[in-house]
Order: sequence, then C-alpha cells, then structure tokens
Amino acid sequence: MNTPQLRMFQTLVRREFWEHRSLWAAPLAVTVLLLICAWLTHGALDIDASDSAEWLDPQNKTIVFALAQWGLTVPYYLVMLLVLNFYLIDCLYAERKDRSILFWKSLPVSDGATVAAKLFVGCILVPLGTFVLALFTDLLFTAIWNIRAALGHSPELVAWDTVAFLQIQTLMFLGLVISILWYAPIFASLLLASALVRRNVLLWVTLVPLLVVIGERIIFGTSYVYDLIDYRTDGIWKSLHLEGALLGSVASVGQGVVISLPRFYDRVHVLPAFTNIDLWIGLIVAAACAYAAAWIRRYRDDG
Amino acid sequence: MTAIIEARGLKKAYHATHALEDVSFTVGAGRIVGLIGPNGAGKTTALKAILGLTRFEGELRVLGLDPRSQRDALMRDVSFIADVAALPRWLRVSQALEFVAGVHTRFNRARALEFLRRTDIRMRSRVRELSKGMVTQLHLALILAIDARLLVLDEPTLGLDLLYRRQFYDTLLNEYFNKERTILVTTHQVEEIENLLTDVLFINRGRVVLESSVEALAGRYVQLTVNPDNVARARALQPFYEREVFGRIVMIFDGCSTAELASLGELRKPSIADLFVAKMEAV
Repeated sequence: MNTPQLRMFQTLVRREFWEHRSLWAAPLAVTVLLLICAWLTHGALDIDASDSAEWLDPQNKTIVFALAQWGLTVPYYLVMLLVLNFYLIDCLYAERKDRSILFWKSLPVSDGATVAAKLFVGCILVPLGTFVLALFTDLLFTAIWNIRAALGHSPELVAWDTVAFLQIQTLMFLGLVISILWYAPIFASLLLASALVRRNVLLWVTLVPLLVVIGERIIFGTSYVYDLIDYRTDGIWKSLHLEGALLGSVASVGQGVVISLPRFYDRVHVLPAFTNIDLWIGLIVAAACAYAAAWIRRYRDDG
Repeated sequence: MTAIIEARGLKKAYHATHALEDVSFTVGAGRIVGLIGPNGAGKTTALKAILGLTRFEGELRVLGLDPRSQRDALMRDVSFIADVAALPRWLRVSQALEFVAGVHTRFNRARALEFLRRTDIRMRSRVRELSKGMVTQLHLALILAIDARLLVLDEPTLGLDLLYRRQFYDTLLNEYFNKERTILVTTHQVEEIENLLTDVLFINRGRVVLESSVEALAGRYVQLTVNPDNVARARALQPFYEREVFGRIVMIFDGCSTAELASLGELRKPSIADLFVAKMEAV
C-alpha cells in the first residue's frame, strides 16, 4: 500500500469515529464508571478477612484475582457489542438518509475502500481498542484496589499475580480473536443490511430472521435457520470444549468447590477453533457480504 | 476543441418514466455550460450519468473515461456539488478540511482556508450549526480548493438568498474558472447565470432541444417586438414562438435575416431566459 492510499484509509477510519462518537465515547464511559467503582467507598479498605480463611489460600486468591480480571472486562464487551451492532446497521444507511453520500461520492474514494474502512473499524479496530482499554482498566483497577487495601488494615486483600494476569489476558485475547473471526459474517451481514434496506434497518435485522425462523417452523416443520443462527452464536465455544474444561478443573476443597486454574488452562484448547472449517467458511461469507455492500453502494440509484 | 464530455444516445428510464431519451451532446474544454430545463426534464439524470451515479444505456465518455466502469479514476479529475444539503450535519468544518485533504491528493488546504477566512464560518462549528448560505460557502470552499478538470454543479444555489447566490457565481468565475477547467451547471434560475455561460444545453422531456454556444445564439436567434400593423407579415416569416407583452406581440425567429425583420418592428437579441421559455413552450 503506498502512502496516499494509506493516508486515505486512515482518513476514512478517522471519519467513522467523528461520525459515530459512541464508538469511542461508550468504552471510555465504561472506564470512567469502573474507576469510580474502584473508589466507590471512600478512603482505605478496612475489611476483616480473618473469618474467611479459605480466601487466603494462595490458590484461591489467584482464582479470585483471575476472575476479577475477567469480570472487569465483561461490561466492556457487552457495551462494545451493543455499540457495534448499532454502528454497523447505521453506517451505510445514515449517509443515504441525510444524502451526505453525494458528498462522500464526490471525492475519489472507491466504494470498496469505504466499506473496507467501516468493516475494519467494526471488526478489528474497536474490538482491539476495547481489549487494550479493558487491559489498562484491569491494571488501574487492581492498583487502586491494592493501594486502598494496603492503606487500610487488610493486607490480606492485596493481590497481584503476574503469571495469572498474563494467562487470563492471553486467554481473553485469543477469545477475542476467535470472536472476531467467528462473528465476522454476522457483522458483515449487518453492514450489508445497512446498505440494502430502505428504512428501519433495526427492524429488518431483527424481524426478518425471526419471521423466517417462525415461517420455517410452521410451513416445513423444520428449524434449519434457527439451528444455523444458534450455531453461529455459540458453536465455536463448543468446539473449544470450554464447558468440559471448566467441569474438569473443578475440585472440591473442604465443603466448597474451587476451580483449578492450571487444570483449566490445560484443558482449554484454542487450536480446534482455528481448525474449524466453519470459521473460515464464515469469513468467506463475510467477504461476500462486504463485497455485496460495496456493490450496492456503488450502483444503487434511489432516483 | 477537446471534448471533456461526449454523450451519444443516452437513455435512462425509471420504471415507466423516460428520464433520458436518446440524449447526445458534447462539452468542450474550458467552457461553462448551462444544462437548462424545467423540473423533471432529465437534467439531474444526465448529471448523475456523467458522474457515474446511475446506470444508463448509450455511449458516454467523460475525460475519456466511462463513468460506469471507471468512476474511481474519473473522480480524481471531477468535482461536484450534487445537492446543496449534502454535507453531513455532524461534520465539523475542521474535519471537512481534514477529510478532503486526506483523501484527495489535489486538494489545496491553504486555498480552502483562505476562502473560509473571508466568511463567518468558524473551524469548530458543525455543519448543523451553520446557516444554509454558510453550508454552501463551506462546500464551495472545499470544491474550489480541488484542482479538478471538470466541475459539475446541480442547482448549487437552491434555496439561497440573492446575496449568497451572486457571491457564489462571482467566486466561481473569478477564483476558479480558467481555460483548463470546464464547468457544467444546472439551474432553473437561468437569468442568474446568463452572463456566466459560454454554452447552453436545453433539455426537455429527456431530449436535448438546443445545444449551442452563447456566441452562436446571438447570430441565430432574434427577437422582434412587432409593430401592430406588421403582425401578419411577421407571422408569414414563421416565428417559432410568439407571445403578447403589454399589448404588443413579441416573436422569436430562428435563422431569419435581420434585414427583413428590421422593417417590421424593434429587434433585439433574446435573453437565454427568453429563449428557454420559447423553446420549452414551442415543443
């Protein structure tokens, strides 16, 4: 890619963040909220942890630490999912609605480049940006928590485990990469809908699949479409044997139940996700949807 | 004359309506061409065809390229304002400059800034905060700073007050136009761009009804305000248009000898607006 093209692509990407401010504002709002939560009870932490001796067990502490790292990222990915859905169904529709497409099309930018930039923002940049933001929030939140615990009289609550931190972040990162690849056809089809549908895109993308599923059930008595949607929603996680890994790593400790992290990591196999042919077929479908969206944007003439 | 636009037999139908029916014309380099026609005549469809925004039948070369298959390459040398309200309302002025500079290698940011300095437009403003006139000024500033060979304007001053309209065309003529540049403009306010044009292209019901340079018009058409006694003689010379103004008959002739007409009343060169009305009503 030569320089003017790279510059053009960067400009197209920046334009998406100018127009759809929720792409960056929503994750930042989550950060602010989480950091406020970290300070929620003013001053130093002063919890008497002597009653719960099992929490002080190093293995348990590591698990709690890892779970906290994971838990802190959950709001990010929920918000991201919401923001991305609205972004993708809107990004090729809004420009037609406000007729600004006539301005964008007066510049030497191909429809392919425009669609590619939107897909890049939705499928790669925002998820990766969210990961980085969540990682920093994990660090900051933990730091605040530890400072407060140390300042108070609860040194037992001070927790840091570099290995556990790296392990959980690596696992979450791999999970994110798998999600991006697995859900790419869903994202690209939302983009296609925003290029295709005349109005009420949200209604179309929710109602049409629903009606098709119901229609298929009533007319043919089958559920292929439902199964397909279901499979595309969580099929890849089944191929990772996450459930089995979780169950297999549960161990009884006294009266309680804990998860053994080393055992869990041993049992999670990421490779099957990448060797799953459906993952790659999905990517081909995603590419086809993106191509169709660009084609429609190029040749659509609303008169 | 190098042809910038060469159209042969353009046809386009929207469902049952024929927007273009066998339209052929040529636009030469360094000309300012007015594409003039009533509402629904096919002006916008013709422009959209030229800009590769719609599909059509027929042969069309713009700067030697086919807008259907070579649109991306074409847009490097063509600018257009297709709608006065096309700038997105969320866009900031500074972002608009940054965007165009980022995607167009022939955009001169300093020139756009220089133009904007003469207006009341502030860099931090969003388009939605600007008045309609200011939005047009901003759009014009962006377009004028692009070194394009062909500029296409579709009703660029629609809805603007007289001051902005005058300023728009003055800027266009004084600061943009030169021999290397060609401008194609549609408007229904013919009288406003009358003195600007070098060529006219009248279009009605999807057909070209007149294609001429303004210079040639003067030699070809003549308007006669007929003395009341000479009306019958004047009619015998077959005017293609006739109307009554303040009780006197006014006729327009195509290619008639002025010597013969001079004895029948007062002669003058019809304005483009007069000719337009005459041509539209004569069809």
